[in-house]
Amino acid sequence: MFDIEKIQKVLPHRFPFLLIDRVLEVEPGKRAVVLKNVSINEGFFAGHFPGNPLMPETLIMEAMAQASIMLLADEGEQKKFDVYLGSVKADFLHPVRPGDQLKITVEAIKIVSEQGLVSVTVEVEGKLVARGQIGFVVKWM
Amino acid sequence: MQDLENDIRNLIAEIIEKDPSEITPDAKFVEELGVDSMMALEILAGLEKKYRIAIPEEKLASITTLKETVAIAKEFLEAAKTCNV
Repeated sequence: MFDIEKIQKVLPHRFPFLLIDRVLEVEPGKRAVVLKNVSINEGFFAGHFPGNPLMPETLIMEAMAQASIMLLADEGEQKKFDVYLGSVKADFLHPVRPGDQLKITVEAIKIVSEQGLVSVTVEVEGKLVARGQIGFVVKWM
Repeated sequence: MQDLENDIRNLIAEIIEKDPSEITPDAKFVEELGVDSMMALEILAGLEKKYRIAIPEEKLASITTLKETVAIAKEFLEAAKTCNV
């Protein structure tokens, strides 16, 4: 399991754009399971939407992409890298609201040295709220 | 061989969102069909899943036309057959 300190050694993202709180499992290059806690204190709820707080699907997508980077955790802790989102296919099935905990599971479809293709599911209390396929490009420094 | 070519043409058409008729055996993926490196990886992963084969990374650069892609699939399908005997 990774705590937030270790997550920040792998991900360059910081407040307010670090969208992973804990990593439950990582099998480098194969699989990762991470958590994102959604609090009413998130800044975007002020405007999305007043009186009807919903987590923007684009940010759920970003959390899915950050979770995918965890597949590179082993090498990523030792070497610097840039990562770019290459392709996205996603379905959003249920709204995400304050108090929800996103459990994001990433499974590798194909990982090569500078690219990856993964399938990602997002659950809240066992209910599937989003699923997708993400392609990313990695540039190792 | 013809069936294999047609199946792979359809697989590629779905990934690159083109009509299968545009994917002629020698149409160049990048220059003529707008295939990028992400799509090439999707094609490779699609072949692996469909035919239950493992294709090494170095073949990625050879996914340049339908003809080349079919040749890669054929090579690894035959290798898989040999392993199973």
